[in-house]
Amino acid sequence: MERADVAIVGAGPGGVAAALILAEHGVDAVLLDEQARPGGQIYRQPPMTFEVVAHRLDKTRAIGKEILRAASEKKLRSRLETTVWGLFPLGVEGVSTVGSPGAMTLTPAAAGESAAAMAVALSGEGGVDLLRARRVLLAPGAFDLPVAFPEWTLPGVMAAGGIQAFVKSQRFLPGNRFCFVGAHPLQIVIADQLLNEGAEIAGVFFAQTRPSFFDAMKELPNVWTSWEKLGQFFAAWRRLDRAGVPVSFGKIIIGAEGHGEVERAVVASVDDAWDVIPGTEKTVPCDTIGLNYGFVASTELGRQAGCRQRWSPSEGGWILEHDEWMRSTEPYIYLAGEITGVAGADVAISEGRLAAIGLLRDLGRVGAGRASQLAAPIRRKLRRERRFARALQEFAAPRFDALAGLMSDKTVLCRCEEISCGQVRQALRENPHLGTANAVKLFTRAGMGPCQGRFCALSVAALIAAQSGNDFSDIGSFTARPPTKPLPLADLARYWDETTGGERS
Amino acid sequence: MRRLERDTERPPPIVIEIDGEHIDAYPGESLATAILASGRRTLRRTEGGSPRGPFCNMGVCFDCVVTVDGVGALRSCMMAVRPGMKVVTGGVRGAR
Repeated sequence: MERADVAIVGAGPGGVAAALILAEHGVDAVLLDEQARPGGQIYRQPPMTFEVVAHRLDKTRAIGKEILRAASEKKLRSRLETTVWGLFPLGVEGVSTVGSPGAMTLTPAAAGESAAAMAVALSGEGGVDLLRARRVLLAPGAFDLPVAFPEWTLPGVMAAGGIQAFVKSQRFLPGNRFCFVGAHPLQIVIADQLLNEGAEIAGVFFAQTRPSFFDAMKELPNVWTSWEKLGQFFAAWRRLDRAGVPVSFGKIIIGAEGHGEVERAVVASVDDAWDVIPGTEKTVPCDTIGLNYGFVASTELGRQAGCRQRWSPSEGGWILEHDEWMRSTEPYIYLAGEITGVAGADVAISEGRLAAIGLLRDLGRVGAGRASQLAAPIRRKLRRERRFARALQEFAAPRFDALAGLMSDKTVLCRCEEISCGQVRQALRENPHLGTANAVKLFTRAGMGPCQGRFCALSVAALIAAQSGNDFSDIGSFTARPPTKPLPLADLARYWDETTGGERS
Repeated sequence: MRRLERDTERPPPIVIEIDGEHIDAYPGESLATAILASGRRTLRRTEGGSPRGPFCNMGVCFDCVVTVDGVGALRSCMMAVRPGMKVVTGGVRGAR
């Protein structure tokens, strides 16, 4: 069984930044990621087999280049194209249990392994495997906030981040004529990148009304990073404008239309609360719709391991709590990046560095005084970065109540199990005691499919909130259980046979 | 839907099989890219029969799942193309 001092889940900016510091101090850390190359989503790299000239518009790559170059020069230990599907504390005898204590013994005790505190469950091409680690750092990033509206399941409706990933890392345009709808300034930048690649842009629609958008922009703190980012935003907007691309405010997506795939987007005007103003519907011909209403932190592994979470809508929904050394509320589990609140790559890098120093301290590699010394400049930088991130979060905060109002009764809410919004609303009407996300999941099957609720959890919560008046923090999230991503049962069976000699208890 | 040529050098193509059709793809490319580039937008169907294509393109949504060499429910966005792989699209939950 593979062992490491530190298992880092996620080879994005936060994970790589932490790995670099740990490597410098001789700590044996391993980076784990589902993608084939490090970089995460923001610095997602093309395949090794492609030669791509980084484009002048792609500023994020210039910032990320440094960290990725360091990563490849240092030959960081990694296991890529590998899914982490569970974290299990190792008991004193070195026995790990799946799920709640005593639920199921996955691996027998082995002598002399007491130093490892956690078993990290992996799945990949080679099957299922366990990695023993003394500490785990979770830096799994975020994904685009799914927003359900009529016909949002049509092929051609995509997350804006997914569209950008096709262009950046695959050098592929997943459509011809794109319509972007959202509330995050990033959609301007993505639309500009696509325009530059020769795509047609049908329009970019912001939910914020024009006055609220610009009033909020004035609140961005007067720091260098915000000027740089604002500069990128306005330069992209100017290029779109010059190309005749309409950029509108106070508009929201209310539907997609087409036979078997997207042919049109339907947008409508909204007020300051993003509530649709009847009679303002407008049809926009396009074949691809990019959604950019915000991001959701990937917290499932931490939640599965028992880390305490907190509801923070502007920071990516449910996020995990941490202390000044980026330690979660569970022993041996550390956090960095979007999992502590969606705040972008700069914050992720600083948090990764801080977590690494916390790890060095807790593993006894540096003394407490030296750790504080090393951390001081990072904490100063992080304070500035968080100030900007917080302002941007407030600026682009999704209004879950208004977004949930976009669903009609026929709208599919759970894409995996094909549960409609109407089915959930009816269940709530007929069973007023259903006050939590878990209760609705058990009652309706919403959230029980392969995505394991990642795509419907917030819509379900918003419907419960609308019906019951309960607060999101009381409604809760779906319980996260291993495997947090689907894996073949045959792989589990083979692992069992290989490690136990096929013994069944 | 098309591959971008500018600033990009790809290795020589390989051939994969999608729904019985021989299709060129480039080593390193994701299977989702190769399927979309072949002109298909529906990668799977639901039990209710409605078409689905890639949504998140980062391994979260499971809407791009297909069958490869007889193994179903594989995320095409997370998988690189391999010469000769046999891909079936349009299956219920990516299985057939």
